[in-house]
Amino acid sequence: MKILKLILKLQVSILLLLLLTVSGCKSDFELNENLKGFSFTLSDQDGKTVKFPADQKDKIIVVGFIFTHCPDICPLTVNNMQLVQNALKTDGMDDVEFIAISFDPERDTVALLKKFAALREIDERNFKFLTGTRKEIDSLMSVMRIVAVTGDTTMIDGSPSYFYTHTDRISIIDRRGFLRKEYPGSKANIEEIVNDIKKLR
Amino acid sequence: MLNLIIGFLLLTTVAPKVEVLNNWMRPSSKDMNTAVYAKIKNNSDKADTLYSVSSTLAKVTEIHETYDKGGSMGMRKVDFIVIPAKKTFELKPGSHHIMLIKLNQDIQKGKKYTVTYKFRRAGEIKVEAIASEKAVENSSKMHNKK
Repeated sequence: MKILKLILKLQVSILLLLLLTVSGCKSDFELNENLKGFSFTLSDQDGKTVKFPADQKDKIIVVGFIFTHCPDICPLTVNNMQLVQNALKTDGMDDVEFIAISFDPERDTVALLKKFAALREIDERNFKFLTGTRKEIDSLMSVMRIVAVTGDTTMIDGSPSYFYTHTDRISIIDRRGFLRKEYPGSKANIEEIVNDIKKLR
Repeated sequence: MLNLIIGFLLLTTVAPKVEVLNNWMRPSSKDMNTAVYAKIKNNSDKADTLYSVSSTLAKVTEIHETYDKGGSMGMRKVDFIVIPAKKTFELKPGSHHIMLIKLNQDIQKGKKYTVTYKFRRAGEIKVEAIASEKAVENSSKMHNKK
C-alpha cells in the first residue's frame, strides 16, 4: 500500500513538472506558424531578386514592416532592428538576417530603399530592405497579418503626399521557417528580442 | 554698490519665458519627410501656446501627433500645443512632433538645421536642431525674436 502511494506521488510530481515545463515554453514563444509553404518574390535595396522567406533558409529572420516616407514610427522600428543587429554582433552572432519590408511599393523604389539604408548607416551585410509589386506585397502582408491603410492624400508640388496608419511590428522567424513571436516595432524591448533569438539558436 | 551689481546680474541672467531645448531631427533626404523633436520648457507663471512652426527645410511644416489605435500607429495634424505654466512639454518619438513634409534638401547626420517655433506669448524662437537617430541631451543654440 505504501509503495502504491509513493508511486502515485511520484507520478503527480512528474506530471506537475511536465506542465510547468510546457507552460514555460509557451510564455517564451506564443506562435508556431509554418511559413515554409510561402515564397514571395521581392527586390532588395541593390535590385537583387529575393525569395522571402525561402532565401533565408536555415537562418533566424528578424522582419519589420515600414514605409520610408514615415517620419516617426518606421525609423524607430528600423533603429530597433539595427540595435538588435549591433547587440548580436557584439555577441558574435552573424547567423541572423534582418529584413525590412515596405508596404508602400509605389513610392519605395530600390533606389529609395538604398538611400534610406545609407542615411542610417545600416550594416547591409545581413540587413535587407525589400520592395515588390503591390500584389506580392499585399499577399505577404496578409500572411504576416500586417495592415496598412492610407490617410488623406494632399498634392504638394504636383506629387501626392500621404501617410499610412499601419501595424507597428517586428517579428521573428526561426530556422525552420516558422513565425515564432511578434513585438511592437517602435517600442520593442531590444534585450527581449536578443534573448529570444539566443533561445531559438 | 555690490548689491546693485548682483541685482543687475540676476536680472540679466533670468531664464527666458520659454526655452526650446534638446532639439534634434532624424536624418532624411530631399523630397522625403522627417520629424523634429525638442523639450519645450515654460519658465513663466502663465500657460503658453505653440501654434505654428516654420522652416525653409520643407515645403510643409506641421505640428503632429502619433496615435496608437489597437496596435496600429497613425499620425494626425494638431492645431496647437498648450504648455502649462512652469511645465515642460516634450516633443518625442511616438508622440507629438514637428513634421517636415517634402524636404527641400537632404538632412545629414551630425549637421544642424534651423527651425522657428511660434508661441502666443513668448513669440518666435529660432533653434538649431541636430540631425541624429536618437535624442540629444545638450541644449541647442536658441534665439528669441520677440
